[in-house]
Amino acid sequence: MRNFGMKRALLGAAIAVLAMNASAAQAATATGTAKARILRQITLTNTSDLQFATIISGATASTVAVSTAGAATCGSGLTCTGTTTAANFDIQGTSGAVVLVGGDSSVTLNGSLGGNMTAALSYSATNVTLSATGGSFKVGGTLSVGANQASGDYSGTFNVTANYQ
Amino acid sequence: MRFLKGFGLFLAAACSAAAFTPAIAAGDLLVAPTRLVLDGSRGTEVVLNNIGAEPATYRISLEIKRMTAAGGLDEIAEADATDAEKAALAMIAFSPRRVTLPPNQPQVIRVGVRVPEGTPAGEYRAHMLFRAVPDAAPAVADAAKPAAEGVSIALTPIYGITIPVIVRVGDLGAEAVIGDAWVSETRDGPAFEFDLTRSGNRSVYGDIEVTRPGVAEPLLLARGIAVYPEVGARRVSLRVPPELAAKLKGPVHIRYSEDREIGGGTIDAADRVVK
Repeated sequence: MRNFGMKRALLGAAIAVLAMNASAAQAATATGTAKARILRQITLTNTSDLQFATIISGATASTVAVSTAGAATCGSGLTCTGTTTAANFDIQGTSGAVVLVGGDSSVTLNGSLGGNMTAALSYSATNVTLSATGGSFKVGGTLSVGANQASGDYSGTFNVTANYQ
Repeated sequence: MRFLKGFGLFLAAACSAAAFTPAIAAGDLLVAPTRLVLDGSRGTEVVLNNIGAEPATYRISLEIKRMTAAGGLDEIAEADATDAEKAALAMIAFSPRRVTLPPNQPQVIRVGVRVPEGTPAGEYRAHMLFRAVPDAAPAVADAAKPAAEGVSIALTPIYGITIPVIVRVGDLGAEAVIGDAWVSETRDGPAFEFDLTRSGNRSVYGDIEVTRPGVAEPLLLARGIAVYPEVGARRVSLRVPPELAAKLKGPVHIRYSEDREIGGGTIDAADRVVK
């Protein structure tokens, strides 16, 4: 939508999409994949979440760290229960391909009963060379828990990308 | 109609209830090919496939990224983009920009290029980002959590894949030269590193093969190494297992060759003694 010509082209595309029902869309993609041309591909799969489990806050501010290996370090004054895990992403693609890993360095979590926390994120690698069985990288984090942090369910989102160069 | 289509997908998903796995995040994806080079006269296609177990909505966008001297790709906000980067965003058109796919349903994304008359010769590049739009995951309710005391956390990754979309305008050329090579201990473990210097008015792209003189089997193979025009040189840092790091020390032959798909010709080759 950066210029008029493109806007018009997109409008045309939008009309084409509206005119297509679901089965027509499937037929169109079937034609696309029927060509006997092998394309190099990349797949990205999220196989585990970054889990800080359950934390009971104390009278002083502290931190909970989950390493990229998934091991937890519960800061003084806090009580941590449950199983922690690092986020894991699997990459599949051409053997030998070098994939750059990028993502947010921190995330803000908002509480269901008010309040927020931030977590600094750490990545196990900045680039991954794929083997015949692919590759993977992990994301760990250090959560800053305030003094007498309001209880509740905290949630947040962070961006992660696998980049071909 | 869009709603009906979405409803249809929902029905299809509901019918194949066996594929429904509630705990797994939706958004796993496949993208092919992994790089687009266009000369402006014709367009191409990219295939996006939902390889997850649940229906997912994907958003497709163009991003500006700049290569760093360390070989990373920095994300650049559109407000900070140079004129050439803005020109790249303006000349690349694609459709659709948002698509909801049931599991194992591929979708073709059409990519076209329109180079405005009078565009200076050069290489214009943007990175196409394919990313699932997440369903907001609620923090997992923990029955063991003491009332009004515990804090439970749900972090949802929004993850995706980027591939470069390169538009070449005019007659362009580039060369690359392999510099010093060494093995070092990085924060992520041992790595084989070397400098790669580029000259000319376009990027260079290809595969790195490291061999020991007299041994046919390569010690190390790394495919898809680029040096983009915004940098004159970059460091290539390839993580290797400790046993390979030890093996790489000594005399090696490093060859940087063009992509196999365009002939695989040598860009540069050098004999180095790795410390």
